[in-house]
Amino acid sequence: MNSTLADWPFNAVLVANRGEIAVRVLRTVQKLGLKGIVVYHAADRATLAVKMADQAIEITGATPVAAYLDAAQILAAAKTSGAGAIHPGYGFLSENAGFCAAVENAGLIFIGPKPAQITLMGDKVRARNFVEKGGFPVAPSAIEDDDPQTFNARARKVGTPLLIKPSAGGGGKGMRIVRDLAVLDEEILRARSEGQRYFGDGRLYVERYIENPRHIEVQVLGDSHGNVVHLFERECSVQRRFQKIVEETPSPALSAELRNRICETAAGIARSAGYRNAGTVEFIFGPSGEYYFLEMNTRLQVEHPVTEEITGKDLVHEQLRIAAGEPLGYTQAQVTAQGHAIEFRIYAEDASRGYTPTTGPILRLQAPQGEGVRWDSGVLQGGEVTAAFDPMIAKLIIRGRDRSEAIARADKALKDTILLGCKTNTAFLRRLIAHPAFVAGDVHTGFLDANPQIAAEPELSAETLRALLAAAALSTRTLRDGADAVLDLHAAIGAWTN
Amino acid sequence: MHHAFSFNGDDHLLTLSRTTTAYCLHLGDEVYAIDLRNHQDDTATLVIGEQSLEVVIATQGDEVFVHLDGEVYQLRYRHPLERLAASQAGNSEDAIRAPMPGSLVVVAVQAGDAVVRGQLLLVMESMKMETTINAPRDGVVHAITYEKGQTFDRDAMLISLLPLAIEK
Repeated sequence: MNSTLADWPFNAVLVANRGEIAVRVLRTVQKLGLKGIVVYHAADRATLAVKMADQAIEITGATPVAAYLDAAQILAAAKTSGAGAIHPGYGFLSENAGFCAAVENAGLIFIGPKPAQITLMGDKVRARNFVEKGGFPVAPSAIEDDDPQTFNARARKVGTPLLIKPSAGGGGKGMRIVRDLAVLDEEILRARSEGQRYFGDGRLYVERYIENPRHIEVQVLGDSHGNVVHLFERECSVQRRFQKIVEETPSPALSAELRNRICETAAGIARSAGYRNAGTVEFIFGPSGEYYFLEMNTRLQVEHPVTEEITGKDLVHEQLRIAAGEPLGYTQAQVTAQGHAIEFRIYAEDASRGYTPTTGPILRLQAPQGEGVRWDSGVLQGGEVTAAFDPMIAKLIIRGRDRSEAIARADKALKDTILLGCKTNTAFLRRLIAHPAFVAGDVHTGFLDANPQIAAEPELSAETLRALLAAAALSTRTLRDGADAVLDLHAAIGAWTN
Repeated sequence: MHHAFSFNGDDHLLTLSRTTTAYCLHLGDEVYAIDLRNHQDDTATLVIGEQSLEVVIATQGDEVFVHLDGEVYQLRYRHPLERLAASQAGNSEDAIRAPMPGSLVVVAVQAGDAVVRGQLLLVMESMKMETTINAPRDGVVHAITYEKGQTFDRDAMLISLLPLAIEK
């Protein structure tokens, strides 16, 4: 495939993102022999992406996040650095149709879909209507835009439990479950305020909440020649605060027949949209095998590595090829998968305190190693985890010949992950994968809420406490110097009495 | 001399002494011979009596982080003066601290306002979720530390109420 690289319309790619995903994209860009450029806010100066980029351009903003949302600065950086294409990563401007259009208007290539496809799928309501019209399955719902005056009444009719979501949302932001209609109006107000703040758009959308559902999504790829394939599913049911924390493929919930059906549904949705780029079609999957379209993400997904691990496809490379105008070059039948892969999101957070984020310096960092272990991260020892960004520090991806081998390798890798300076969720993740329900693949999106003991800090033995105090005492200067001084005094007295 | 480390909210008292051959950890009436042997790769072997444990330790200021058997623990050296101050501290309800890092999205009161128990004071945002902070008791707002939009770390003091004694 590299033989055609000389024909590509770009030879330098600017990554408009930060952290692990900027590193991930740069890795493929540089492997292909293209120039990799990043923009960064000063808060990220000591991160891996800035270090490994061929060129790093500082951008500024009222807050660090604002810098990465500043399209004008990013486009200016692309011009200065000679980038012919912009990769948006995930989050930030990745699903912003205005940015996508601005990139194209500047004569650059947006490594993603066409602006119209972002507009279509970026709005939950529009996307749902589109999918429903195509004859694909969607859940009962009420849409504020249909008639704002009657929205609360129509929301009431959807019935409890129901889920309120911002129309423009994603990633669990601003979503609320309502089980009691008495608090519906109040929760609608709060969700609207959150939607307004995160997306500048307070419009809402309510849908029936399926109790104990699974979240199953399908990776798709579409090129600019009308070819679409799927790269199988990912099971992302283990979530906290509506955010995925462990993702795996294949899903333990699907029979071969059901797998084929749900994957073909996803490919069908992408095909009907004329979709170009890597994308993900998300489904909510009920206990009796029913599934409904949830949303489509028109970008690279955080959990894309598990798909790469079982299919052997480099999704960033596929994105670049597609953006360069190349055809996929293979058929659905030629996409095969082998083994099992699980991704763990390593977060700076305290599971025992409601998964609240933690901050702190990264005093020691040792990534785990071994067969089937992949570590995607953007932080370095000496760096710092701040409240300025999402608290995800790294992704640990484990591959095994089967699920049980992957779980066994994961336990060892999590145990070997050393990150000192701020609390992370690695010990929590080990407790999670040791749980019989997880081992059996019997999980749903409410699994962690239903099993709070997994998040609770385990009882400490007297023996462990003793070891910790010994370690702390010997590592603290004041104590060690004090003990040494007394010995020296004894030695001196000893010498004198002799 | 007694020293203390806080761990999970509790203070643990200990004494470290030394003989010509080993360090000794005194916990209550018990004494353990201990040693810490650092290796080149940042790992260390912690010896307690007959037992040897592989650990990775990092310190920053008074904080000690210990990686032991796949878990990370954080201890904090407690200075004698700090312990004294803590034992004489005022009513904790006077200061409202951040339950998690985040930023302020709503500041509903200002210094000098009289508030009643349960009244909305602040709305903070963390992990893409809003959390309301309500008055823990009736009182008068003394100071608000942050402005709307500013970010803070966990345990940062967000808002304080006038101590009851001063109010009267």
